[in-house]
Amino acid sequence: MTTPVNDAPAVDAPGVEEVPAVVSISVATAPDARGGLPAAAGVVVRALRWLGPPAAALAVFALFLVLKGASPAEAFEGMWRSAFGDGDAFGETLLRTVPLLMAALAVAVPARAGLFNIGGEGQLLLGAIGAQAMAMVLDGSLPSAPTLVLMALAGMAAGLVWAAIAGGLRVVTGMNEAISSLLLNYLAAILLAWLVFEPWKDPNSLGQAYSEELVGGERLPVIWGDRVHLGVLLVAVVPVVLWLVLRYTPWGFKLRVVGGNPEAARRAGLRVGGLGLAAMALGGAIAGLGGMLEVAGVEGRLRPDMLVGFGYIGFLASWLGRHHPLKAIGASAALAAVAVGGNGLKVASGLSGGAVNVLMALVLLAVLGWSQKESKETRAPSVALRVGLRRSAARARPEAAVAGVAVATGEALDAEGARA
Amino acid sequence: MNVESILAGAVAGGTSILYPTLGEVIAERSGVVNLGTEGSMLCGALAAYAVGIETGNPWLGVLAGLVAGALMAMVHAYVVLARGANQLATGLVVSFLGLGLTSLFGQDYVGRGVEALTDWDVPLLSELPFLGRVLFQHDPLTYLSIVAAFAAWWALRRTRAGVRLRAAGERPEVLSTFGTSPVRVRFLAVTCGGALAGLGGAQLATAFTRNWSEGMTAGRGYIAVGLTIFAAWDPLRAIAGAYLFSGAEALQLQLQAEGTSLSPFLLQAFPYVVVILVLALLSSRRLGAAPEALSRVFEGRAA
Repeated sequence: MTTPVNDAPAVDAPGVEEVPAVVSISVATAPDARGGLPAAAGVVVRALRWLGPPAAALAVFALFLVLKGASPAEAFEGMWRSAFGDGDAFGETLLRTVPLLMAALAVAVPARAGLFNIGGEGQLLLGAIGAQAMAMVLDGSLPSAPTLVLMALAGMAAGLVWAAIAGGLRVVTGMNEAISSLLLNYLAAILLAWLVFEPWKDPNSLGQAYSEELVGGERLPVIWGDRVHLGVLLVAVVPVVLWLVLRYTPWGFKLRVVGGNPEAARRAGLRVGGLGLAAMALGGAIAGLGGMLEVAGVEGRLRPDMLVGFGYIGFLASWLGRHHPLKAIGASAALAAVAVGGNGLKVASGLSGGAVNVLMALVLLAVLGWSQKESKETRAPSVALRVGLRRSAARARPEAAVAGVAVATGEALDAEGARA
Repeated sequence: MNVESILAGAVAGGTSILYPTLGEVIAERSGVVNLGTEGSMLCGALAAYAVGIETGNPWLGVLAGLVAGALMAMVHAYVVLARGANQLATGLVVSFLGLGLTSLFGQDYVGRGVEALTDWDVPLLSELPFLGRVLFQHDPLTYLSIVAAFAAWWALRRTRAGVRLRAAGERPEVLSTFGTSPVRVRFLAVTCGGALAGLGGAQLATAFTRNWSEGMTAGRGYIAVGLTIFAAWDPLRAIAGAYLFSGAEALQLQLQAEGTSLSPFLLQAFPYVVVILVLALLSSRRLGAAPEALSRVFEGRAA
């Protein structure tokens, strides 16, 4: 199975040197290339890497606030109060974490296969639409638990279909999935607006259009305070299940191989297109679940501007957590706190709520730009993404990756064969 | 149905999509995908609108839009080229930054009237029947966009800078061998592309809609990135791509105005559906024409 190595195009001298590094990244976890540093210095470097980017982002954001004529201290205090000030504030942050996390996981799973799903926004909305549709079809004919399960399944199916469009276009026509999933977000928003303003409009809604309210058994029970619903528990469940699947199942491993290098995976006999499509679909289903939780747990109905921006913030969260399902929890919670802090910004400083997007984008830019200097140490999930993080094309060696992953794939398939 | 007004609307509306498409063609020819085009457009639109209001001179506004678009693109270029971050992710984050910045600084300008760029009728030609209204009764930036497309086409093919730019996108190693830094070439190309996107935003805010609202570009920057593939990275075909989108938009607006039985919301989806379908049909044929360094990005292989 290692023969493809010989078929790889000629590799020039510096590339040859890089082969071992790429192999080690794709097969095992990356070795610590800073080996020479004493442990204490390593801790400081690590702490700086975690704290540096957010601190830099906060500083630049403060500068923008000053330019706008607002007091940064007041603004930050307002943000803190509305995100963590009291139990209700904390509950709100928790609630916002749910759809954010689901959108982040919708990015993370395809990223394992080297695909860019930027369609979390649309997939969230489709999930909400699917859940609402199911509730309307059932119309209270079933008890609460089966109703909610069916609503969740409908939401997941709708999100799955929406993501599968982008994934399918990639497989069948070669259309880049980043662009198709982005454009599908606009279609999803238009679809939602159409449903809410026309066929599903609540006749009682006058000024603002919304759909009919979900009642009784169609709503998730509140478990804490006034608003925190049962679905919040999934914040702990879904990422762990996903992590186990991606790490310990053959399917999860195959995804990593495809993400490592599609060409090598193809030569090793994996169905690259099908695996990518499945990864997109699973991501879409998770986002769909997020949409269902929002409509059944928080909104209780469809509104035209529900969940605006959450798909994009979820994308940021996934990158912040380096596409790791467990790290996505922390990243989503942090960005959810910033998002909720936006309300405080509005109240305390009279700024527009969208202004917090600046802070989130700055944090991500700082993280993207800050850590790549040390990209030899960082552990991104796949070679494709790792190679994408390199400084210039002249230094990126796809050929080396082909060789490296072909070796990895060969070993793994041999191992699987031995087990069977 | 009034074909004349649909086509005139397509040309007027196509300008704000032609500029970013041209900008993206230039950036991608050098080997860099810039999804931050949407952010450049938003910042360009707000900068043009705000400066236009504050100074009362729309042309100063246009200049400000150009600069704002270029600055946003420089953020993308720096993070991608100097820091080695992923291109698609960085671009999206830059767009998000643009959305946030324009939300922060734009809230005071919502609903304020601007001194608009006035239409300039081309002497004699504008009096032609049919063609006069379709082609020769527009704002100056619209005429300039066509000139810019031809200029970009000529520059890419015939000038030393154009050859260098294409080399950066095809074989950066070769460029290094000849003593030119591919990174510098790409930085300039991305910045120039952002300036064009800013110009597109400026035209949108000060000449086409003559209004500012949050997120007013409605994905035009992303559509421009898609249309670049449609145009096979050719500035002249970018004109066709831009008018394809704006033509679909003008058609649906005309249908709305005439009051069809179709819902206005579904009509609104029409231009996006057209772009997705056309790209789906053409992608497999077009990707072979992609600059070498770029296909690595699209296939998730390298930056």
